[in-house]
Amino acid sequence: MERIIVEKVSKKFKIGFKKKQSALSRILSLFSGREPKKPLEALKDVSFKLDSGEIVGIIGKNGSGKSTLLRCIAGIYDYNGRIITDGRILPIIDPSIILRKRLIMRDNIYLVSSLLGSTRKQIKKRFNSIIDFAELRDFVDTKVYQFSDGMRARLAFSMAIHCNPEILLLDEVFEVGDESFRVRSAEKIKELVKKGASVILVSHDLAVIEKYCNKVIWMHEGKIVKTGKPDEVIKDYLNFKDR
Amino acid sequence: MRLRNFLGLSFEIAKSSFKLRNEGSYLGIFWYLLNPLLMFVLLLLVFSDRLGNNIPSYPLYLLLGIILFNFFQNTTTESTKIIVGDYGDLIKSINFPREALVFGIALKCVFSHFFEFVLFLAVMIIFGNSLSGIIFYPLILIFFFILALGFSLVLSSLTIYFVDLGNLWIFFIRLVWLATPIFYSIGGQNRLFLANLFNPVYYFITISRELIIYSRLPEPWIILGAVFYSLLSLLLGLLIFNKLKTKFAEML
Repeated sequence: MERIIVEKVSKKFKIGFKKKQSALSRILSLFSGREPKKPLEALKDVSFKLDSGEIVGIIGKNGSGKSTLLRCIAGIYDYNGRIITDGRILPIIDPSIILRKRLIMRDNIYLVSSLLGSTRKQIKKRFNSIIDFAELRDFVDTKVYQFSDGMRARLAFSMAIHCNPEILLLDEVFEVGDESFRVRSAEKIKELVKKGASVILVSHDLAVIEKYCNKVIWMHEGKIVKTGKPDEVIKDYLNFKDR
Repeated sequence: MRLRNFLGLSFEIAKSSFKLRNEGSYLGIFWYLLNPLLMFVLLLLVFSDRLGNNIPSYPLYLLLGIILFNFFQNTTTESTKIIVGDYGDLIKSINFPREALVFGIALKCVFSHFFEFVLFLAVMIIFGNSLSGIIFYPLILIFFFILALGFSLVLSSLTIYFVDLGNLWIFFIRLVWLATPIFYSIGGQNRLFLANLFNPVYYFITISRELIIYSRLPEPWIILGAVFYSLLSLLLGLLIFNKLKTKFAEML
């Protein structure tokens, strides 16, 4: 069964020189003409398919369009082309910024889990399991700004996988957290995949990609350069990188 | 089911932003009452002998005007900070219904409005006013909420394009505050009356005063005006917000 079909997806950003604009300067620019904007093609004609039970890795340099692709699939950005998805999508892009730092952990779990689409009843049921998986039982009533980066990442990741996603979009989540947490996360992801979930994993850690993915997509400047078995694509990518 | 999820999410947003506002404050809800209370006492001292001379039950007239306007002002000003400020990073990383943010913040303002309304009730009791008009209040508040929500939808989405819209709005709402008969009555001033026909808040304040303080039925055209403005603002709000919301993530 196909979980994700991405067909000829393109995404253009308009890059301005002044990012923030005030109302006054907007009105003035009506008379002086618009400021020049440079279009930047973040994605060009990207197409691929992902079956249920597959883990696909995406590799590529910074700025090659990996995160943009994830955001398009998650429905955060609009795009040209067609993306068909089947199942509950859960993006984990920059996990720790979704936490409200001035709230205690308990409130954060309720807020973020509902943002991720769970009902209050479901959250109540999973609450213990979330804090146990994140190994943060002692800090339920601590404000999150006092957490370390690793603790935040663990909490965010734990909330996300407890939403039982069918499509999991992971953006560099393995770069934080200690070894034991990585292993447990990987186990949990494998468990979800066994139940039929699909995963897209963006990472710069090629060892992780090689270990867990069935398929690897190598992106460069918004295009797919190569798709295939992990060892082959990674070998070509490394050769290319060296040059 | 989806509506229930939406409401649940909005409620969580309202709750968490309510908690964030009260974070580390020892006086807690007292802060919510301080602003309207001080304003009320000050205006009462200054104006009760002059502007309020011909207005029956002037203290109640004044306080109800203040708390109603406060609700509208708080909701709309806070809405200008939601998308660019407080919740920008969430918008960039999770695909949740964006409307829930605006709805949640408006709900939070309803919470704090309740505290102010309790204050008003206390003053009603002190002055021995009849409380029977209060049964109409929930209905008034629903339409007033719709009005504020519509304005908030427009304002919050436009801040994406006009970053300092929030500052402009604070200035503008101050002008509206002065133009709305809160501490004075319009009386026979024709120009002021005509201007207030375009001020949606005027309709709601007038209806509330008539029903709650004076136990009189307001004139039908005022009720129609209130309903018209609230529905119009919600319609425009939804249209504009829907048009712009797909751009939020990339403009942040």
